[in-house]
Amino acid sequence: MDLSQFISAAFLVTWFTAALHLSGPLLLASLGEIYCERSGVLNVGIEGTILLGALASYLVTHLTRVPLWGLSAALIAGLISNIFLAWMYVTVRASQVVVGIVFNILCLGVASFVYRLATGEAASPLPVAMFQPLYIDGLTNLPYVGVMLFGQTNPFYWVLALTAASSFFLFHTRFGLALRAVGENPKAAEAAGINVKGMRYIGVLICGTAAGAAGGYLMLCEVGMFRDTIVTGQGFIALAIVILGRWSPWKAALAALVFSSADALQLSLQLFSVPVPPQLLLSLPYVMTIMAISGLVGGKASQPAGLMVPYEPN
Amino acid sequence: MFFRIERRLEPAESPMAIAIAMGVAILFALFLGGGLFMLEGTSPVEAYGSLLQEAFASVRGFGFTVVKAAPLSLIALGTIVAWRSGFGYLGFEGCFLIGATATAAFAMQCGEGGWFGVMHFGIFIPLCIAVSLTAGGAWAGGVGLLRTRFGGNEVLISLMTNYVAILLVQYLISGPMRAPGGLPQSERMPPETWLPFIMEGTRAHAGILIAIPAAVLVWVLLRKTAVGYEMIVNSMSPPAARYAGIRVDRIILVSACLAGGLGGLAGMVELLGVQHRLVDGMSGGVGFIGIVVALLARLNPLWVLPTAVLYGGLTVGADAMQRSTGVPSSITFILQSLIVLLVLSSDLLRRYRIRALGVSVSIKGST
Repeated sequence: MDLSQFISAAFLVTWFTAALHLSGPLLLASLGEIYCERSGVLNVGIEGTILLGALASYLVTHLTRVPLWGLSAALIAGLISNIFLAWMYVTVRASQVVVGIVFNILCLGVASFVYRLATGEAASPLPVAMFQPLYIDGLTNLPYVGVMLFGQTNPFYWVLALTAASSFFLFHTRFGLALRAVGENPKAAEAAGINVKGMRYIGVLICGTAAGAAGGYLMLCEVGMFRDTIVTGQGFIALAIVILGRWSPWKAALAALVFSSADALQLSLQLFSVPVPPQLLLSLPYVMTIMAISGLVGGKASQPAGLMVPYEPN
Repeated sequence: MFFRIERRLEPAESPMAIAIAMGVAILFALFLGGGLFMLEGTSPVEAYGSLLQEAFASVRGFGFTVVKAAPLSLIALGTIVAWRSGFGYLGFEGCFLIGATATAAFAMQCGEGGWFGVMHFGIFIPLCIAVSLTAGGAWAGGVGLLRTRFGGNEVLISLMTNYVAILLVQYLISGPMRAPGGLPQSERMPPETWLPFIMEGTRAHAGILIAIPAAVLVWVLLRKTAVGYEMIVNSMSPPAARYAGIRVDRIILVSACLAGGLGGLAGMVELLGVQHRLVDGMSGGVGFIGIVVALLARLNPLWVLPTAVLYGGLTVGADAMQRSTGVPSSITFILQSLIVLLVLSSDLLRRYRIRALGVSVSIKGST
């Protein structure tokens, strides 16, 4: 094993293509979480929502054989399940961390229960139709960057568009300003005539929709069959990405790339049988996030001031 | 209008009101669960009956219940120590694994031909407790240090440390601590180090005998000692605590180490009592379910053991039910979490009362 093979073009192309491919669902879930946290609610229930989205997309795609229907179902599942979460967070004013964690356990139960109910005692899970990689003649067959940039699946490009849109909505519209105000100083926002609870409901519901869709993305672009163990911490990784990305969409895209690059590098190294423990690479982004939260790298992370504080109008 | 629902100025706070609201929530959760049983074509009464019977009426089943309850209650106690001090720690999955790993490294050297040789059990167990307490305590203490030194948010940091611990264990059992063979797992612990079984004909091990005094000690700490008092003051209002001359940072550190230590202890109990070797995924979510147990016990250390036994029983009963009737055991996850969520939302009930025919009725009684 010499170093030249390590940095050969084939290796790099494989690595970067996989990194971009894996970053999609993570980024989508993080975008939703940004809206939610900007409005002052920490939605830890995102992990469970992703699982529900994955299940919904699996079942619907199984029936219709159209991945787009599956993705829509995932979106709706995320939205509906998060109405309950939003009610718990905003109206009941329960501890956001507690509700989120328990909701994740609930989703685990619901997903495996519904899956069994829907498929019966099927011995082995059946694969479903998935989104196919894009192919544009003349672009996708460009050397090196072709597959990397123009050979991803459709949802990847939609997520990129959403990132741009989110950046615009959050920082250049009245809606974005109101949402951020509610997360920073709900009392002042209320005094300025903003409906604090309404904004927080919207924040959580956007988050739920995005997380559900991320589950569908995961299912229809990466996994293709359902097991109740397919969501292994993607939701928590999304939380980390939001922090590392300083609660802003484009930086979150970079942060998502950090996590997915570590994952992809680990896979590529195993493929090329390089003796580096994969766990070391996989843990690096977490360590980076821990340092980012503590302000040990990249300056102090300043979370929205109203994060995790239930709002009680007087 | 014969009745209308009106909002109270203050939520009803009497113990009766709280108990009734909780009762309503639990009944409602069981009712929803019953609906799920009916979807599966099982009678809810029969299902709940067989669930309880397996977990509590059969000696073998109760043994399993106790096995499940031991680590759950230790983690619940850790949660109480942390949360009652205003330290929102969520990293018990990590503490559990780190405690188990440290115990494994130590116990492996305590068999025939190990560095330490076979020890008397009366020396070995206290040493093991010390090892797992220290390991778990140091792990969580690190998070405490990041919080007190740099002001990092401990909720988010501790969530991330869980994954670091999971990856660390995966690395150890596929590398340095891997046993020869196809599966990534450590060597089996020498049988001399296993926790003894305490009930004839069951798998119930001595772990619960560690959990019981731990519960009492945590209660004494929080209720009867100055440190415990300072912890509770700090959880209620850090500025007030600082103003009263309490060294807030030190209190946070102490509670972080103690909470982590209890989490580590849970790992030791599970390793030496059940698994007997380090395997991937050995925590099985116990670090989060323990938090749920603590919440249901309303963060009261004395309620932890009964709650953990009930909770463990629910799991054991559901497993048995899956074997006998085919109802998926995942239904317990649904039941357990529904109970917590509904109990939390039942607080909403205490904010309202019903006024009918000029008489106000509320769960507090008439006012």
